[in-house]
Amino acid sequence: MLSQTVVKRLKEIVGEKNVVTDKVGLLTYGYDGTLLSGEALGVVSPTTTDQVVEIVKLMNEHDIKLVPRGAGTNESGGTIPSQEAVVISFTKMTKIHEIDTENFVAVVEPGVINFDLQVELAKQNFYFPPDPSSFKASTIGGNLGECSGGPKCFKYGVTRDYMLGLEVVLPNGKVIQTGGRNFQSEPGYDLTRIIVGSEGILGLVTKVFVRILPIPRAKKTMLALYDKVEDASQTVADIVAAGIIPTTLELMDNLLINTTEDFTHAGLPRDAGAVLIIEVDGYPEDMDEQVKTIGEIASKIAKEFKVAQTAVEVDQIWTSRRSAFGSVARVRPSYGVNDITVPRSNFPKAIGGVLKVAKDFGVTIGVVAHAGDGNLHPLILFDQRNKEETETVHKAEQALCMMALDLEGTISGEHGIGLVKKKYLDKEFTPAAMEAFRKIKRSFDPTNRFNPGKIIDL
Amino acid sequence: MSNVNISKLKEIVGEANVIDSSSEMTKYLKGSGKPAVVVLPGKTSEVSSIVKLANEQNVKLAVGGAVVNTQGITGGIAMVMSRMNQIVEMDKLNLVAIVEPGLLHKDFILKVAETGLNFPPEPYEVETSSIGGCFSIGDSDSKSFEYGPTRTFLLGFEMVLPTGEILEIGNKCIKNVSGLDFIHFAVGSQGTFGIFTKLLVKLLPQPEAKKAVIGTFASLHKANATFNTLIKRNVHPTRMNLINASFAKIAKPGTEGQLVIIDLQGFKESGKNIANEVASVLTLAGGLDVKIIEDAVEYDEVINGWLKVRAELNAKPERTVEFVVGPMKMPQALAQLEALTGDLGAYPGVIVEGLLGYVGLALPEGTEKLAFATKVNKLAMSLGGNVKGLLGHKLKAEVYNDAEMWKQTTSLLNELRQQFDPKGILSPGVSLEA
Ligand SMILES: Cc1cc2nc3c(=O)[nH]c(=O)nc-3n(C[C@H](O)[C@H](O)[C@H](O)COP(=O)(O)OP(=O)(O)OC[C@H]3O[C@@H](n4cnc5c(N)ncnc54)[C@H](O)[C@@H]3O)c2cc1C
Ligand SMILES: Cc1cc2nc3c(=O)[nH]c(=O)nc-3n(C[C@H](O)[C@H](O)[C@H](O)COP(=O)(O)OP(=O)(O)OC[C@H]3O[C@@H](n4cnc5c(N)ncnc54)[C@H](O)[C@@H]3O)c2cc1C
Repeated sequence: MLSQTVVKRLKEIVGEKNVVTDKVGLLTYGYDGTLLSGEALGVVSPTTTDQVVEIVKLMNEHDIKLVPRGAGTNESGGTIPSQEAVVISFTKMTKIHEIDTENFVAVVEPGVINFDLQVELAKQNFYFPPDPSSFKASTIGGNLGECSGGPKCFKYGVTRDYMLGLEVVLPNGKVIQTGGRNFQSEPGYDLTRIIVGSEGILGLVTKVFVRILPIPRAKKTMLALYDKVEDASQTVADIVAAGIIPTTLELMDNLLINTTEDFTHAGLPRDAGAVLIIEVDGYPEDMDEQVKTIGEIASKIAKEFKVAQTAVEVDQIWTSRRSAFGSVARVRPSYGVNDITVPRSNFPKAIGGVLKVAKDFGVTIGVVAHAGDGNLHPLILFDQRNKEETETVHKAEQALCMMALDLEGTISGEHGIGLVKKKYLDKEFTPAAMEAFRKIKRSFDPTNRFNPGKIIDL
Repeated sequence: MSNVNISKLKEIVGEANVIDSSSEMTKYLKGSGKPAVVVLPGKTSEVSSIVKLANEQNVKLAVGGAVVNTQGITGGIAMVMSRMNQIVEMDKLNLVAIVEPGLLHKDFILKVAETGLNFPPEPYEVETSSIGGCFSIGDSDSKSFEYGPTRTFLLGFEMVLPTGEILEIGNKCIKNVSGLDFIHFAVGSQGTFGIFTKLLVKLLPQPEAKKAVIGTFASLHKANATFNTLIKRNVHPTRMNLINASFAKIAKPGTEGQLVIIDLQGFKESGKNIANEVASVLTLAGGLDVKIIEDAVEYDEVINGWLKVRAELNAKPERTVEFVVGPMKMPQALAQLEALTGDLGAYPGVIVEGLLGYVGLALPEGTEKLAFATKVNKLAMSLGGNVKGLLGHKLKAEVYNDAEMWKQTTSLLNELRQQFDPKGILSPGVSLEA
């Protein structure tokens, strides 16, 4: 419980309506994209950097911890108030300060929804390349908190690559500015880079300078259908070997084809073992040759290959892919999203590994993957009310992580560590690396006030 | 007197790899410091033992690719990485390589090209730079608009920490958000977080075609204006650079006027069309001798000319001021700059990286650098940019009159450094403050 004094001060800082302390109001802030939950002491939604500073100082005076939160769609338990803490929600810092297409920069507040920024940019024929599948809901602050990926990473990289500078409120309540409006403005250490992907444990981001790009002049979307998932992964390897860098190589297996079909009726054949969505972009005159090469490569193994002819067809394909996570909820009441990545050459083995885990543990797993990046999202379907089954699922999830590490991969390609994967972190990292993380955390936040318990313990 | 235990060092790396006669040492050293010894380790465990020894005896140590900067290591150890120069693995399937830090950049890109791949980062000193130095400095170059800055190409490393432990991090996945991102944070840390002993480097397929378009201009401003035209036409070459008349003679002997170099790396089909578009934009704007270069040898000559000028600028840091503004702000920046410098064409050296909005200036003899940089910074800030590097950051903080923010930033940087190097052993000459 927060004392009346603290609540009163919080209300003075951000205004009455931006403080939540009633049980029902707090409930939603106890959840995120995972199946975990917790209960916040209170929720405060600042609208300016100065308010953030005041809040941090107040919390320091009263020795209260803070959990930063954007839209709360993360898949790592990163916004769960797992310890006694106040949630600081950035959803009311939604200003787009500036869009400067001439100089390839936009300046935004952290609560801006990725999609809303894309809409504004599109008016000027620009875009912000990182677009996680959750882009209609997730915030720029959350994207940078997790260093989110999405379907375009193979060609365009991840959120990290589009962060030019940040305004950050440190755990001591002081404000710093990292980076700038261009590549060349970081002196000393690259503080921008260490804050990106730090899941709110180092600082609160209050302003973001992002790099924006002109929308490519041309784009081609292709679809290849396979009998078996393994076949699709061969096409992926062959395309890369041919020196082509598609923007997208997304894969869904038979289970996902069926659940998304229930949802979207996009017309994917329900008997296909796997579908690969392939997209290339660039100058119009380069499209035909790439499409031709990809078609030749895919057709060697695929049972069907087609090029989307209309914008509607392209939309349909993407609607299927983007609804993948939610669509499985019809099959079983609960699903666990996993996020493992392996070197591209081990992708076929990882697919085999997932099938083996499903068999060994007797669980149902559907696979969506950013195949070009070697990034798999095995979705385990189950019923959370069944304790025994839930236990088995946890074991299966652990087995997936260990399988990825055995294949020289990582336990997180884009969703982050948070609470969910913290327990496996020392399987991926040596003690020296774990200690390096702690050194960094200690430098920023010696008293462990920001998002305590996430990623590492001090 | 020095505390360095030379005989112990010889035990670690072998007699032949410890040099302590001052005449033999000089070729490994730059700067005015006087280290007691130069040591050339051959493997990671040796680097680790040397650093541990330095800690035990409280001796300062600095590292370099082929030549070590001696600032702050008088009586200490200069570690040269040139013996650790192997390509451990070239993995074409995953588009990565594992290399040792002493490998020369120029040797690496040769091998990478032989494999049909591409490693875009391009250090200032192309002839002497090591891969370890490349990632320790970090930074961007005129190809970064297309390919990203240097850090984009690091996926992991092995590092000997300032206390001597060996840290390994990263993997061959191009997407990896596990733990904190120490991988990219270490880029640019200039040997203060540790000594790279292996680097896991990301590579790209080679572009299908490379072309350049060059042209000369009587007016620097007219030359520069073509960049804005191209950006407005939605043309984004791989690089879009300009060299003023004095420097142009170094880049391409015999050049009269300001030299524009447009580099086009990409596909054959679009490359042809864009080259034609660029050539007409240059010609329409008054460019002379506008030429599309397709021949590989000639292409390399043009690019090497650019690199030569860049190295020239970099050779005299005390006489160089660099700044950035938004790319489209460049015409204003150059016009205002001329009020400070006089005719930029005749200035000792001016280079422009049009896509990055970067300007590098070689100052005339006798210029008060700090006073000049302060003026340039003011100009750049009024156009949304600033002077580059630590100096720029400090000047910026001064303009904001924000001593507080500057203090916060530096104390955070120093705290981080202290956490990793509690005794202050490594790279004492590297300052995190301007
Ligand atoms: C259906 C679905 C699809 C998804 N698809 C993808 C995908 O394709 N790729 C992908 O990478 N992820 C994906 N995700 C995961 C998730 O959407 C991303 O991690 C997203 O970036 C989180 O944004 P958010 O606004 O919801 O952040 P939150 O979940 O609220 O927060 C994420 C992290 O950032 C921190 N944080 C938030 N704001 C700030 C701030 N201002 N300052 C400091 N720290 C802050 C939080 O503490 C937390 O640790 C998906 C999730 C769902 C539910
Ligand atoms: C894209 C790019 C742009 C650049 N732009 C500029 C510029 O604008 N201005 C400029 O002055 N330079 C610039 N450089 C750097 C310049 O070219 C350097 O000389 C070169 O990259 C460093 O290589 P070196 O082997 O000569 O390093 P050295 O001169 O030997 O070392 C440079 C620094 O790196 C450290 N270091 C060297 N090896 C290691 C190692 N194995 N582990 C840890 N630390 C190590 C040294 O301690 C030193 O601090 C740029 C480099 C790149 C890659």
